[in-house]
Amino acid sequence: MALSSGSSSSRDSREKITIQNVSKSYESTQALANVSFSVLEGEFCCVVGPSGCGKTTLLRAIAGLDDPDGGSILVGGDPVTGPGLNRGMVFQEYALFPWRTVRGNIRFGLDRPACDCPNCEARVRELIDLVGLKGFEDAYPKELSGGMKQRVGIARALAPDPEILLLDEPFGSVDARTRDRLHAELLDIWAQTGQTVVFVTHDIDEAVTLADRVVVMDADPGTVQSTFSIDLERPRERTSRDFVDHVAQIRDELGSPVDTSH
Amino acid sequence: MSTRTDTSSNAVVGGSFEGDLRRYLRGLGGLLVFLLVWWVGAMTTQPSYLVPGPLDSVRAFIDLFATSTAIVVPVLGSNLVLPTGLAHLAQTLFHYVPGLLLGASCGIGLGLAMGWNGVLDDWLRPLVRLLRPIPPLAWVVFAIVWFGIHHTGAAFIVFVGAFWINFYGAYGGVEGVSSELTDAASTLGVERDLSMLKLVALPSAAPQVLTGFRTSIGRCWMIVVGAELFGAPGVGYEIINASNNLAMATSVAYMFLISLAFLSMDVGFRLLERRVLAWR
Repeated sequence: MALSSGSSSSRDSREKITIQNVSKSYESTQALANVSFSVLEGEFCCVVGPSGCGKTTLLRAIAGLDDPDGGSILVGGDPVTGPGLNRGMVFQEYALFPWRTVRGNIRFGLDRPACDCPNCEARVRELIDLVGLKGFEDAYPKELSGGMKQRVGIARALAPDPEILLLDEPFGSVDARTRDRLHAELLDIWAQTGQTVVFVTHDIDEAVTLADRVVVMDADPGTVQSTFSIDLERPRERTSRDFVDHVAQIRDELGSPVDTSH
Repeated sequence: MSTRTDTSSNAVVGGSFEGDLRRYLRGLGGLLVFLLVWWVGAMTTQPSYLVPGPLDSVRAFIDLFATSTAIVVPVLGSNLVLPTGLAHLAQTLFHYVPGLLLGASCGIGLGLAMGWNGVLDDWLRPLVRLLRPIPPLAWVVFAIVWFGIHHTGAAFIVFVGAFWINFYGAYGGVEGVSSELTDAASTLGVERDLSMLKLVALPSAAPQVLTGFRTSIGRCWMIVVGAELFGAPGVGYEIINASNNLAMATSVAYMFLISLAFLSMDVGFRLLERRVLAWR
């Protein structure tokens, strides 16, 4: 407590996630080296970078699934010590429970004793509507397409009404057209719920389509190279001049050699 | 494992009615050729008891149900009169069923515990490696000195056989639980190890546990007959008993009976499995 009070005084009161000097090594590679940045409440933050830059490690650390070797992660001012229902996670390969139906998967987080949910059935119905899966309530994951699976993944993560939604390259394995639709739907959901979102991707277009702010990471060791604010109206037109400029700027940043002066 | 490949290849090859029909006709053809070879073999072999013919065997099979035999129900101690074939089948089931169920429960229990708990796994793995290769029938000597070769002794041998197959089904199933699923469950509020076992590991391991159990149904039939050849009452004992009287057709009839009993249990369990694992 005494240690964190010094840093919390410098913390913006709107900061929802504060990452301070986080490091993490796996055997011979340093996945994260002194990573620091923060995400404001209600902000849509995308983290982009080449594979091996530690973006997934960072997300897992925020989720409480991996412990960093050094540094600290604060969520709403409290240090992360493990997973919690205030942070929902959407996985790259969906990670749906194959033995549960769509309804059963979405309900999973509501059945925990820690979750206070007076009317779970209604909540599940509401979420199924929200992600557009009406009529598929009793389908098993094996019967669903990739895009539909990820809709279930999103609804399942939203069910306990987390303050923060963490997404790890969620649309990496769906086709381009479905991805566009899922982007629009995710932005709708975000607008409705006002959650703080951290979205990891290696696709710069995707990041500029979605984010308020893009954090660019560099690999080996994983560090934050720079951050970009994206002040564009939504929905964003990918062919617009501003959009293309932002993408080019980030691509330059990613392509440039590591420069510590940034 | 084999079921999965079977059904998937069925789906590809035999999607049409003609494909199904062709497969059935071929199977029937195979059976007919076998019957013919058997019949010719029996006709040309002397003395005739060396190879009892198909007709004699069918007649012997029917005869199994023409007479009645009284057997003693273990534990209850009461008498039960059944057609002879069923009476001996019942005798077998009196040690087969308890041995199978108890062995499967203990094997699944230990398999889950060891697959889930690393410390227990460290403690017991060498012991398991050492004990597992012992063929269940080798335990027959202890079955005899501990229990006598009757129902309890035979049940003990079946127990050993069922134990290991089910142990490995459960152990492999729990060990193979994907860390992605346990991660997902953690982020959804599963905190205690026991809840994780119940909510994620068990359902995820269910296919392998059930396959283990189904395999043990068959393996235990092999074992139970082996145990009965040493003298425990039941269909296996009747096979050797009939052959001692050179009534080889009766031996074949009991072999049929075992085949039918195994087949119906296997089919029944497959149906149950398909129901329980509809999600797969």
